[in-house]
Amino acid sequence: MGFNKTRLLRVLLALFFIFTLNFLIPRMMPGDPLVFLMGEDVVLDPGAMDELRVEMGLDQPLWRQYIRYWGRIVTLDFGYSYHYNQKVSALILSRIPWTLGLMLPVILLGGILGMVTGTLSGWKGDSRLNRGFTTLNLVIYSTPPYFLALACLYVFSVRLELFPLKGFMDSGTLPDILHHYFLPVLVLTAFFASRNFLLMRGSVRQEKKKWYVLRARSMGIHGPRLVFGHVFVNAALPMVTMIALDFGFLFSGALLVEIVFSMNGMGILIYEAVLSRDYPLLQGIFLVITLMVVLANLAAEICYHRLDPRLRIQ
Amino acid sequence: MKAQKRKTRGAFLMLAWLLVAVFAGMIAPHDPSRRFEPYSPPGSRHLLGTNDMGYDILSELIMGTRISLLVGLATAAVATLVGLAAGLAAGYSGRFLDEILTGLIDVFLMIPRIPMLILLSAFMQPGALTLSILLGLLWWPPIARIVRSATLQEKKAAFVESAVCLGFSRPRILLGEILPNIMPVVKAKFLMTFASAMIAEASISFLGLGNPLLRSWGRMLYTAFNKGGLIHGMYWWILPPGFCIAAVVVTVMATGMALEETGRSPKREVLRP
Repeated sequence: MGFNKTRLLRVLLALFFIFTLNFLIPRMMPGDPLVFLMGEDVVLDPGAMDELRVEMGLDQPLWRQYIRYWGRIVTLDFGYSYHYNQKVSALILSRIPWTLGLMLPVILLGGILGMVTGTLSGWKGDSRLNRGFTTLNLVIYSTPPYFLALACLYVFSVRLELFPLKGFMDSGTLPDILHHYFLPVLVLTAFFASRNFLLMRGSVRQEKKKWYVLRARSMGIHGPRLVFGHVFVNAALPMVTMIALDFGFLFSGALLVEIVFSMNGMGILIYEAVLSRDYPLLQGIFLVITLMVVLANLAAEICYHRLDPRLRIQ
Repeated sequence: MKAQKRKTRGAFLMLAWLLVAVFAGMIAPHDPSRRFEPYSPPGSRHLLGTNDMGYDILSELIMGTRISLLVGLATAAVATLVGLAAGLAAGYSGRFLDEILTGLIDVFLMIPRIPMLILLSAFMQPGALTLSILLGLLWWPPIARIVRSATLQEKKAAFVESAVCLGFSRPRILLGEILPNIMPVVKAKFLMTFASAMIAEASISFLGLGNPLLRSWGRMLYTAFNKGGLIHGMYWWILPPGFCIAAVVVTVMATGMALEETGRSPKREVLRP
C-alpha cells in the first residue's frame, strides 16, 4: 500500500492507549467499580451484587481483568446496558446509521463549499465583501453548533412553523424525511464549511506567495485554471488529514445537534446514557467513536499517499 | 483592517469581558441566588425575565461570564504549559526523545476530545477547576506540535549557535534565546485554546454534565432547552446565553488570528484551533 509505517504504528498505539484508558477509568475512580460498570440506576441486593462482581471478574487481579477486557473488545463485545436491557453493541448498531446519514451530506457539502469559498477568499485581495464573508465564517465557527441549531429551531420551527419540531420523520416518505433533515443538515453544513473555509483561506494565502504560482503565471496560466488547477490542489492536500481528524469533532457536533432536534440517533443515546448514568453504554459509545475516528485517520493516510505524487518518490 | 489594528481592538474587547467577569457581582442587577416569580417575561424589573426557578436571567448571564472565562483561561494555561514543555523538549533534544514525544502528540491528537470529555465528566462530575485541568490535558497536543516545529526552525538560527558556542546552559538557551522568539506563536495558540475550551465547556454543560451549581452559559442553555424555554417561545431565555458564548469566543479567536498574522508563524502550519 505504500504508506508511512511509523504512522500506522502510531494509529495502532493510539487505539491501544485509548482502549486501555477506557479500561482504567471505571476501575480507578473513587467508589465501587461495580457501580461504574453497571450504571447508577441499577439497584440490587448485596448477594446479587457479589455474584455479579464475580461474574464480571472484579474479584480478580487487575491484569487478569485487563486480558479479559481485551478478549471482549476483540470479539466486539462492548458490554451490556442494564438500563436498556440490551447489548451495548446492538443499541449502538441500531442508532449509528441515522447519525452517519446525517453526517454524510454534511461532510460532502460542507467540505466542498468551505474549501471552494475558502480558496476564493484566500486568493482574492482584501475587499469589503471578502472581509465580511470571512467575519461571517468566523462568527459561525465560534458559535456552538447546538446553539445555532436551537436558534434555527426557534426561528424556523417554533415561530415560522416552516419545519417540523423534532425527529427524523413522521410518515416516512422521502419528502417527509428530507423535510426533517433539512435544518440539522443546514446547521451542521454551515458549521463544518466555516471551519474548512478558515483553514483553506489560511492555506491558500500561504501558497499564493510561492514560486510555482509565479512560474505558472509566466507560462500564461491564469484565472480559474491557475487558482483551481494549481493553487487549490497544493493547498487542499494537507486538508485531507485535517478532515479526517475533524471527523471526531464533527461527530461531536452532530451528537449535540441531534439532541436539539430530538433525532433518535447516537446523540440522544448519549444524552439518555448521561441522564441515567448508564456507564457501560457511555463507554461503548466512546469506543465506537474512537474506532471510527482512528479508521478515518487511517483512510486519510492512505488517500494522502495516493493523492500526493511527491510522497511516492521517497 | 490591518492585523495590528485588529489585535489592539481584540485586546481591548477581551479586557472589557475580563472586567465584566471581575466585577460581575456589582454589575448584576439582582442577587443571582434570590428567587422571584418564575417564568416572568422581560420587563422593567427583570430586563431578561426570570427562569423556571425564578432567578433573574440577566444577573445569571452576567455571573456566567466568570465561569466561561475562568475555565477558558485555566485550560489555556494548563495546555500551554504542557504544550510548551513537550514542544521545546521535542524540538531541541535529540532524535530519540523527539520521536517519542511526536508519537505521543500524534496519539493524543487522535483522541476524540469531546466524547472523551463526556465520558470523564460522567464519571467524575468535575467542578470548574477539575474540568479545566481535564480540558488542558486534552488540548495540549496542537500547542506542542506548533512549538516543536517553531523550535526546530529557531534551533538552526545563528544566534542559537552562538549561544551554544558561548557555552550557555540548555535551560538558558531554551528559555532565554528560543522561547522569546517563539512567543508570538505561543500567544496565538493560547488564545485559540482559550476559545475552544469555552466552547467545550458550554457543550459539556449543555449535556447537563459537570457541577450543577455552576450556572455557566452552557448550563443556562441546558435548563432553557429542557424546562420548556424553547417550546414556550421564551427567546429571552434561550438566545442571550448563546449569543454571549459566541461573542466571547469570536473576540478571543479573532484576536488570536490577528496575532497569528502579525507574529512569525512556522511554515506550512495552518490555523488549527
